[in-house]
Amino acid sequence: MSAPKKRNFQIEAFKHRVVVDPKYAEKTWKILEHAIHEIYNHNASGLSFEELYRFRILSTFVVGTFLNEVLRMRNWSDFNSRKQENCKRNAYNMVLHKYGEKLYAGLVMTMTSHLKEIAKSIEAAQGALFLEELNRKWTEHNKALQMIRDILMYMDRTFIPSTHKTPVHELGLNLWRDNIIHSSKIQTRLQDTLLELVQQERTGEVINRGLMRNIIKMLMDLCGSVYQENFEKPFLEVSADFYRGESQQFIECCDCGDYLKKAEKRLNEEIERVSQYMDVKSEGKITNVVEKELIESHMHRLVHMDNSGLVNMLVDDKYDDLGRMYSLFRRVPDGLSLIRDVMTSHIREIGKQLVTDPEKLKDPVDFVQRLLDEKDKHDKIISLAFNNDKTFQNALNSSFEYFINLNPRSPEFISLFVDDKLRKGLKGVSEEDVELVLDKVMMLFRYLQEKDVFEKYYKQHLAKRLLSGKTVSDDAERSLIVKLKTECGYQFTSKLEGMFTDMKTSQDTMQGFYAAMGADIADGPTLTVQVLTTGSWPTQSSSTCNLPPEILGVCEKFRTYYLGTHTGRRLSWQTNMGTADLKATFGKGQKHELNVSTYQMCILMLFNTADGLSYREIEQATEIPAADLKRCLQSLACVRGKNVLRKEPMSKDIAEDDAFFFNDNFQSKFYKVKIGTVVAQKESEPEKQETRQRVEEDRKPQIEAAIVRIMKARRVLDHNNIVAEVTKQLQSRFLPNPVVIKKRIESLIEREFLERDKVDRKLYRYLA
Amino acid sequence: MLVILVLLYSPEGIEALCSAVGVDHTDVRMLMLAWKMNAEKQGYFTQDEWHIGLKALRVDTIGKLKKRLSNLKEEVMKPENFENFYLYAFRYCLTEEKQKSIDIESICILLDLVLGSQFRPQVDTFTEYLKIQNEYKVINMDQWTNFFRFCKEISFPDLENYDTTEAWSLVLDNYVEWMKEKAKLAAA
Repeated sequence: MSAPKKRNFQIEAFKHRVVVDPKYAEKTWKILEHAIHEIYNHNASGLSFEELYRFRILSTFVVGTFLNEVLRMRNWSDFNSRKQENCKRNAYNMVLHKYGEKLYAGLVMTMTSHLKEIAKSIEAAQGALFLEELNRKWTEHNKALQMIRDILMYMDRTFIPSTHKTPVHELGLNLWRDNIIHSSKIQTRLQDTLLELVQQERTGEVINRGLMRNIIKMLMDLCGSVYQENFEKPFLEVSADFYRGESQQFIECCDCGDYLKKAEKRLNEEIERVSQYMDVKSEGKITNVVEKELIESHMHRLVHMDNSGLVNMLVDDKYDDLGRMYSLFRRVPDGLSLIRDVMTSHIREIGKQLVTDPEKLKDPVDFVQRLLDEKDKHDKIISLAFNNDKTFQNALNSSFEYFINLNPRSPEFISLFVDDKLRKGLKGVSEEDVELVLDKVMMLFRYLQEKDVFEKYYKQHLAKRLLSGKTVSDDAERSLIVKLKTECGYQFTSKLEGMFTDMKTSQDTMQGFYAAMGADIADGPTLTVQVLTTGSWPTQSSSTCNLPPEILGVCEKFRTYYLGTHTGRRLSWQTNMGTADLKATFGKGQKHELNVSTYQMCILMLFNTADGLSYREIEQATEIPAADLKRCLQSLACVRGKNVLRKEPMSKDIAEDDAFFFNDNFQSKFYKVKIGTVVAQKESEPEKQETRQRVEEDRKPQIEAAIVRIMKARRVLDHNNIVAEVTKQLQSRFLPNPVVIKKRIESLIEREFLERDKVDRKLYRYLA
Repeated sequence: MLVILVLLYSPEGIEALCSAVGVDHTDVRMLMLAWKMNAEKQGYFTQDEWHIGLKALRVDTIGKLKKRLSNLKEEVMKPENFENFYLYAFRYCLTEEKQKSIDIESICILLDLVLGSQFRPQVDTFTEYLKIQNEYKVINMDQWTNFFRFCKEISFPDLENYDTTEAWSLVLDNYVEWMKEKAKLAAA
């Protein structure tokens, strides 16, 4: 066995590779330190791909000196490949042989001391150069850091994770933060500089936004809320102070509209500023500050500002200003509800004035038109300026509902408005426009609490329209009835439809009458009869009236004819209605055709047999009720141009010992003279009372029916719940008075429909 | 006994009885007697009622009747009997067939008679009110019952615990409102 020599060689070689002495570690550290310094100081773009690759190889060598070399390196050609290889191998070996700790510590140390030098150069920069220097150094640091990380990748991947140390890149950022940003001479100066620039921009100066962006991005990239602590927080505080001051200034010198314009401008500026050079998360925060200082703090003062506040804007239809106010106030808590509340009370106020001003109530049609105008105006505002906000719509509706029902005559007036439209207002109007008007009427109708009162008046007015033939369009009438039916159900309109049916049927009846009796009555006056079904038409009290004999004949013939074809019916002439056309010849031969009421006809026919009659004689002969008689005589004798009778004495009022004469000297430029009866279109006070009373009477059975319905279903119920249920059931027609409900309950108890519970007297019990 | 019986089938007979017993016929004790007798009609005792009643009273002489009347009042005033008596009093005053209400004037007298001793202030003010108001011309059983409950439950004269939203009769709502108005005017 001649092996000893070989074995020695082998052992030597192995020994060489395996043993690492402490001095060796020191040496390789120094080489790597040097290399890293070189990277740091080098212009990275100058590195060729090969060199980069070399460094990547070298990343297995982590040594302090090498790092330093890298950090300070100016000329890559200094870096020879053999050194690289050594460093690479050595760093790798260091880590491999458990000298990673030293390597890491060395990295920290080297980089820290390097950064301290950089800090000094930044601190030395004057004025505007401060930020620029900072920016430059930061850029360089980042580039170097990237390289270093690449180089030290082996350590990053093995030693660092296993020892839970901060990875290289992050370490580099943290060291930058600690040594540069948080350096006492830089930290405050940096913050102040940045805030100063923002302030400058706010006062209108142009600043270097690119630079700002870079610096701020730097803060954002550093760990540990650097951006928030070193920039965002102070930025927000300073901004709050700034806007607090500015808002105080604005509010003293601007009117509401101008102030809002300024506020909007500032808000937009801040948003733009954030997008240009800050963290996007700051947008919400700065807008909160602006909103609070510019809007929220002053919102009450703005809204209520004299001559320019919300109410003025509403009155003057300032859509732009209103829209601006809406979109700004939307951003702050309770902003919109403030606008809404002020708008609501304003509308209620003008509404209240409208419905309580006696001047405005003189003309019902005008009154309703004003209501519609106000509604249109505010609808437009809500649609154009308030984003069609539903809560505003609801506020508008509730306001209208409130003040329309303040006036107990609203139902009557709305019916009169419709009456006017259907008599003449809608003449020549296109079908679509007719629908528009009717829809508007329906909208007002919905606001009414006392819909049953409206129904009563509507029926009265419709009856008058139908009987006098004075409706502008049958289609319009029917269209409205359909709308009412859709809104209120069949019961509401069944009677109204009955009225239309009667009109049609009467036409057919007349045709039949003339066909059957034509020959018999050809000599007498021409009769046109409308047969009205009681119950469908508004109740009229029948009154006495003696028809002249000339008429009686043909009337009787009609009665006979009608009852012949319809057995079991009863007819009664409604002498308080109806018209007559009389051909009259006066003293000097003037001929005229007079269109008069039935009563007036009865009176005038008397003068066929007498030239003069006293009041009492007329009263006796006609048996017309006194009040109506007086009104008719007034219209026949006291109205200029229509005085077919002459009165002695010539006073305006009718006294019981007045005398009347046929006026031979009557003159009129028209052949046909219409003599209306002196009557008010609006209801007189006693008529109003009567209608109101009728409505109240009608309500009683409705309330009782509701109570019985409810109790039948529930069997036992306490008082409050009955009142609530009844109110709910009847709300589509009217708002029942709780006192009236109580009275109805008591009446039902007396009539033994209900009883009080024997044990708990608060309960009512249904008696089957 | 027989003689008296014949006389008793009429108001005049009752009057004679009253004078015999020494009690005015408008005295509440007569009403109490009627209640005890369960008499159907005011002013009349039927033979049956008389028989059954006397038996219930355990009375067979005028003298005993006299004595019995005095402790009848005590018996009636017991809470378990009084309500029954109170309701009876109303029914007793319905003179016509199918009559359901009593006119205001009679009600006032009846209230005074029946409740006067127990609830003097309530009765006085309520009767005063009834005479002034003109919404109600008569009072029915339901309202009559309500008033007694009112006296029992509602603190007087402050009327603090009276709630108009509860199922009190409307006439009482109006009465309470009138009382409160009066109190306001008195305080002013």
